[in-house]
Amino acid sequence: MTDIALDAHRAPRDTGGVPALGGVKLTLALSGAVIVLMMLFGLTMKLAQGGLVAVEPIYFYQVMTAHGIGMVGAAGLTGAAIMWFFLARYVALTGWVYNAMLGLSLAGVVCILASIFVWGFAGAWTFLYPLPAQSGGVWEPGAAAIYLLGLMLVGVGFLLFYLETGRALIQRYGSLGRAMGWPLLLTGEQDDVPPPTVVASAVVTLFNGLGIVVGAAVIGISLINLYAPEFAIDALLAKNMIYFFGHVFINASIYMAVIAVYEIIPQYTGRPWKTSRVFVGAWAATLLFVLAVYPHHLLQDTVMPGWAMVVGQVVSYASGIPLIAVTTFSLIAYLHRSGMRWDLASALLVTGVFGWSAGSIPAILDSMIVVNKVMHNTLWVPGHFHFYLLIGEVAMVWGFMAWLTRESTGERLAGASATSYAIYFTGGLGFVLLFLIAGASSVPRRWAVHEPAWIGIDHISVVFAALAIAGFAMFLVRFVRRAGTAP
Amino acid sequence: MQGTILFVSLLLIGLVAVVFAASVLASTSHGEPNKQAVEKNRVQLMVALAVIGFVVTYVSLRPWPHEAEASEGVVTVDVTASQWSWELSRKEIPAATPVLFNVQSHDVNHGVGIYDPQGVLLFQTQAMPGVVNRVKYTFREPGAYRVLCMEYCGLAHHGMTDEFKVIQE
Repeated sequence: MTDIALDAHRAPRDTGGVPALGGVKLTLALSGAVIVLMMLFGLTMKLAQGGLVAVEPIYFYQVMTAHGIGMVGAAGLTGAAIMWFFLARYVALTGWVYNAMLGLSLAGVVCILASIFVWGFAGAWTFLYPLPAQSGGVWEPGAAAIYLLGLMLVGVGFLLFYLETGRALIQRYGSLGRAMGWPLLLTGEQDDVPPPTVVASAVVTLFNGLGIVVGAAVIGISLINLYAPEFAIDALLAKNMIYFFGHVFINASIYMAVIAVYEIIPQYTGRPWKTSRVFVGAWAATLLFVLAVYPHHLLQDTVMPGWAMVVGQVVSYASGIPLIAVTTFSLIAYLHRSGMRWDLASALLVTGVFGWSAGSIPAILDSMIVVNKVMHNTLWVPGHFHFYLLIGEVAMVWGFMAWLTRESTGERLAGASATSYAIYFTGGLGFVLLFLIAGASSVPRRWAVHEPAWIGIDHISVVFAALAIAGFAMFLVRFVRRAGTAP
Repeated sequence: MQGTILFVSLLLIGLVAVVFAASVLASTSHGEPNKQAVEKNRVQLMVALAVIGFVVTYVSLRPWPHEAEASEGVVTVDVTASQWSWELSRKEIPAATPVLFNVQSHDVNHGVGIYDPQGVLLFQTQAMPGVVNRVKYTFREPGAYRVLCMEYCGLAHHGMTDEFKVIQE
């Protein structure tokens, strides 16, 4: 057994020194509940598509919209909670900023839910211009406006968060470049090398800050257009902005969540996660790749310049190299013959890296233009991102939550924890694989009603979805019960 | 194509799963890692991934997948999308002839997906307001083909379908 306390801040259950710790725990509890609720929405969609439950299309598309934005929001918030929690060990963060982000996000959520379930907005989470303004008479401009305002509130909250983390990183390290470890990479300088958490936080601060600003711009334009249609924007430009923002934001959630792996796994292996030149180089490449790769969402917009599509394809593949050859490879190396103790926390964190690595395969394949022609906008697309999220990001989050509420003596993956893990993993993996099979069977995405040839897969998916929900519900109950007694 | 991609995906996902499973099994024993060997293996993996990437990129982009120029002998079909129906300038298309689809939308983004008689997606492109997307295709098999909407466009997105025939001339 190789649990070690690497320093005084890392003793079991010692969460001293984290500003807004209450806000972080509230984020996790609320997000956990939102994730379970959104999974129930997802189950409803599958039941409806499979013809097992009658849901009017208008309600299906509302539920679909809520499911999408709910999951994206929960992923973003939980990633941010993880980043804040661990970054507080290395830089001086200001507590009220986190609470402001949480408050603004909650206000945004209220607006978003009201827009959907009170005023009928059903534009999908991606609000693809000009659909919010041109619903075909299904919702009023005001419904779309409240949805977009809700997004704006969440975006402002996140921007405050990143301004604060950026400020604190610069205060401590002198510049974002130093915080990203570039002196080590470029000159081999060994002075004051930032730990992995700092490198990751600095990179995400930069790229997600940019993504959110672009998102705010297109949300702003969309809002104005709702009430002054003469103020229009080129639909292709809007699409570029929306997919840039959306891609960057959802990727940021997993690039933040992996910080939990960097910080927690060493406590089990006794091998600190090292900021090497390779590590810094991988994150520097990631900074560039995450910003450049978004054209892989536009490979069927043939009016896009050819070079942009090639960038989308090539950078999609290239993004896999830091992931597989650095994060995943390092994890495997750190685990090897480490005398590792497996409990729910370590099992979920390692599962998260598996989900991220394995999920990249259908993603990278779909980013090839020739493949994208027959896979884009089929269920292959949600197939790959559910892999990233259900088996990747969310597994890391639940792992962090399990670690936060661990017993101080060495627990093992056994009994109830093993059962809940097995139920979740079986359900989750089966569910995402069926999504991929459906996509390969040419089933289009975002259809409220499925054709008879497609519903067999839906029926089987429902079973796996229910298992995954049961597993997550067990994790949530465990967290809430234990967090209530935490010091 | 879809079957091959699914097979390759499942194979590679399976490979990643096997690697992780082996790693979990090897984690419970004790031993010091050979750091030099680890870093050497990492570099080899990076090089291998880069080489595979170059080869796959080259092979998959030649010929350019979106070649869609109008030329002699090419039949043109104009496709216009609106909430929630399709307008096709021709409903009969000759087989074994290059067909150029000019696709646009009256209102919001739609996606024109062309399905063969067996329900397999052959190709697609986006239908957008203010731009014309072009895609060229040669149909080999005569029969009834379908147009399905691939880009969420509102309430009747799932009902936005049409048909055309490919005929042997």
